[in-house]
Amino acid sequence: MAAAEQCFHCALPIPANCDIRVEIGGTQQPVCCPGCKAVAELIRDSGLERYYDSRETPDPGAVRPPEDAGEWQVFDRDDMLAAFSTRQGDRAEASIYVGGMYCAACSWLIDSTLSTMTGIASADISPVTHRLRVTWNPAATGLGGILAALANLGYRPQPLAPDSTERPERGEQRAALKRLLVASLGMMQVMMFAVALYSGEFQGIDAKMERFLRLVSFIVTTPVVFYSARPFFAGAIRGIRARKPGMDLPVSIAIGSAYVASVYATYTNGPAVWYDSVTMFVFFLTVARYLEMRARHRSIDRSTALSSLLPNTATRIDGDARQLVAVSQLVAGDRVRVRAGESFPADGAIIDGVSSVDESLLTGESAPRQKSIGDTVVAGSINLDGVVDMHVEKTGVDTTLGMIGRLSERARYARPTFVNLADRIASYIVVAILVIAAVVATTWYVIDADRAFVITLSVLVVTCPCALALATPAAFAAAGSRLADLHLLVTNGNAIEMLSKATHVVFDKTGTLTRGAPEVVRTTVQDEHFIEADCLQIAAALEVASTHPIARAFVKHETALRASDLVVTVGAGVEGVIDGRRWKLGSADFVTEMPAPMPTGESDVATTQVFLGSERGVVGAFEIDDALRDDAHNTLKLIEKMGISTSLVSGDSEAPVNRIATTLGIGDARSGCSPDDKLATIRTLQKAGEVVVMVGDGINDAPVLAGADASIAPSHAASLAQSSADILMLGNLLQPIVTALRAARQTMRVVRQNLGWAIVYNIVAVPLAATGFVPPWLAAIGMSASSLIVVLNALRLSRFE
Amino acid sequence: MNILYLLIPLALLLLGGAVWAFFWAVGSGQFDDMDTPAVRVIMDDDKRPPDDGVE
Repeated sequence: MAAAEQCFHCALPIPANCDIRVEIGGTQQPVCCPGCKAVAELIRDSGLERYYDSRETPDPGAVRPPEDAGEWQVFDRDDMLAAFSTRQGDRAEASIYVGGMYCAACSWLIDSTLSTMTGIASADISPVTHRLRVTWNPAATGLGGILAALANLGYRPQPLAPDSTERPERGEQRAALKRLLVASLGMMQVMMFAVALYSGEFQGIDAKMERFLRLVSFIVTTPVVFYSARPFFAGAIRGIRARKPGMDLPVSIAIGSAYVASVYATYTNGPAVWYDSVTMFVFFLTVARYLEMRARHRSIDRSTALSSLLPNTATRIDGDARQLVAVSQLVAGDRVRVRAGESFPADGAIIDGVSSVDESLLTGESAPRQKSIGDTVVAGSINLDGVVDMHVEKTGVDTTLGMIGRLSERARYARPTFVNLADRIASYIVVAILVIAAVVATTWYVIDADRAFVITLSVLVVTCPCALALATPAAFAAAGSRLADLHLLVTNGNAIEMLSKATHVVFDKTGTLTRGAPEVVRTTVQDEHFIEADCLQIAAALEVASTHPIARAFVKHETALRASDLVVTVGAGVEGVIDGRRWKLGSADFVTEMPAPMPTGESDVATTQVFLGSERGVVGAFEIDDALRDDAHNTLKLIEKMGISTSLVSGDSEAPVNRIATTLGIGDARSGCSPDDKLATIRTLQKAGEVVVMVGDGINDAPVLAGADASIAPSHAASLAQSSADILMLGNLLQPIVTALRAARQTMRVVRQNLGWAIVYNIVAVPLAATGFVPPWLAAIGMSASSLIVVLNALRLSRFE
Repeated sequence: MNILYLLIPLALLLLGGAVWAFFWAVGSGQFDDMDTPAVRVIMDDDKRPPDDGVE
């Protein structure tokens, strides 16, 4: 094998027989295919070479251009424009999902390219959601032109229907920002007035001025309580209605009672007001919720996730006429032609043609399936080698794909209920503080009415819940940013707490523990004139033209040979002429051209066998298998060492699953599981008291990912799986799972330290303050110091290795 | 100290103005993408003017 040289553009290893170079910045850089060359040249010629300097290293293959750039002109038609954009005068606005982009440099590249096109008014692209919102003049440039420009850069654009779920998400984000701002500005103002009131307590304050400041505090606090804190009240009421009061209830009681008590004190000129505590508490809670929401929005939303597995367009056959239509326009009863390499746009049955179909993402089965007339096909699976016509039966959300989507939605809803540690503790403590303050106030009022006010004030200040409210969010934020450095994107903050408690990790097989792509694992030579390397070379030369996944196993190997007259026989193999000799590569029947006695039933053969032969008979045989990832062994060993048990749950057949399980020493392996079975497996474990972490990448894993206590998906996973997972891991290794588990434990240790500190501090400080030993100024210092300690402790996580 | 009776209400008015301006900014979509602008400002400095480029 040649040295592992990487493609300059997409970072995939360069095939040995490939010598394509492109000049960038004065140096000749190697690329892996003509597609990457074209993209690199386009970027260079547009003067955008700086893209290569500023981008992060891509996941290998992420930006490799698709072999078939697609027919984008169809999107220039008026009906398409109407379906995918909203018009306002001569302006059209469309949302496009840009597959394959991975860092901010990509969004710069896209932005710069689009801005040179005529008629583009604005283009906003988010590297987080991978969505491009473009406003343009359709008379100058067609939607097809925009999509083609993106495709030429090597991305996989996909226009989204205008009514897709972006809007509510955007609305939620905007509302949360406004709430946060009102809370923070309100908190700052009220704090300022509070300082005046505290110092007035020392130096004496005009009674009129005191009333005035309280009144102003009341005016500022009111919108904070009724606007910023509304989600907490709404949540509490929902909880009461559903007879399942959550943590919003104590939070609401704390906010509500402190506010009402303060208003009453303001009105009656009572001893103390708590406006500062109210706004501070609301502010910290709102910050925590906002951060959590941002992380949640980072994951891909479901409607995009589902539709990105389908092609954009389909070829509809109407009598003799062929018409390219958007997939959303297909209805049951249509006849659709699907060429090799395309994915099926809908559920249906094959009515013409034969092909093998890759359903691995949907079923987890690693081997492609042979399909002919009458067989059913499901949307999202990939047509590998033949041209087939299908009869559309179900489209959109009614497809198997849509059902899996709904199943994962339900699974997430039915997740074991989980209240995070901080909410649980903090809310009760806040209520306790208010009760204590009330008791202290009345007690001192009886003992010594003059000192009652100052002492109550000290108690309230000293126990300010900031440290408590900060304990968890600060730790999660620090851990989240550290994990992002370590190639783990956390999309659900609660996952960290669940991960730290994990007792069981369930793995998917295909694409998770294994690479998900076939490789030649053993070569046997049956003709003494040849050696292994010859066989591989001949096979590689023969498979050059094939799109079949098995072909990829061979194409990786170096070959100097060139084959001519290549003929692909669908579902059997390929033949061609090399150096005047006719070779065949494929199934035993195909190569020997007679029904060769296959070893036994297929279930006994763990690996796929491919034979190589010429006119003179069989020369060699290859065993093709989906190989394990390099660090699978190590990762599993490390997980076991942490005292966490493991299982393997796969949709693949028994033999390959058992073999992998035995190799890796996983005792509990289940094969042939449907998405429902997988979910049931996890539910059983959860009922037995296990905290289950799921690691998977397929569409069929999505419900389990959503239903498990915490879930991790690799970044190459199907987008539906990604949208169901709590954590995405970038790169091609399994090792980050261990990192995530360790980081989660470390994070929760810090959270517990923080909460512990806050509690100890309160236990010490409250009696001192209540007995009148702490003046308000000392209380204020104590409160600030305790918050600071909590934050500094959390920052230790940013050095986690 | 009587000046406070004027200054504090004035401050509140300013506060109201700030909140209104922020709400307007949020509503016009300026906070929808918090990630790109931070990077774009570093990268865009030598972009050619649109007329100058190759069509």
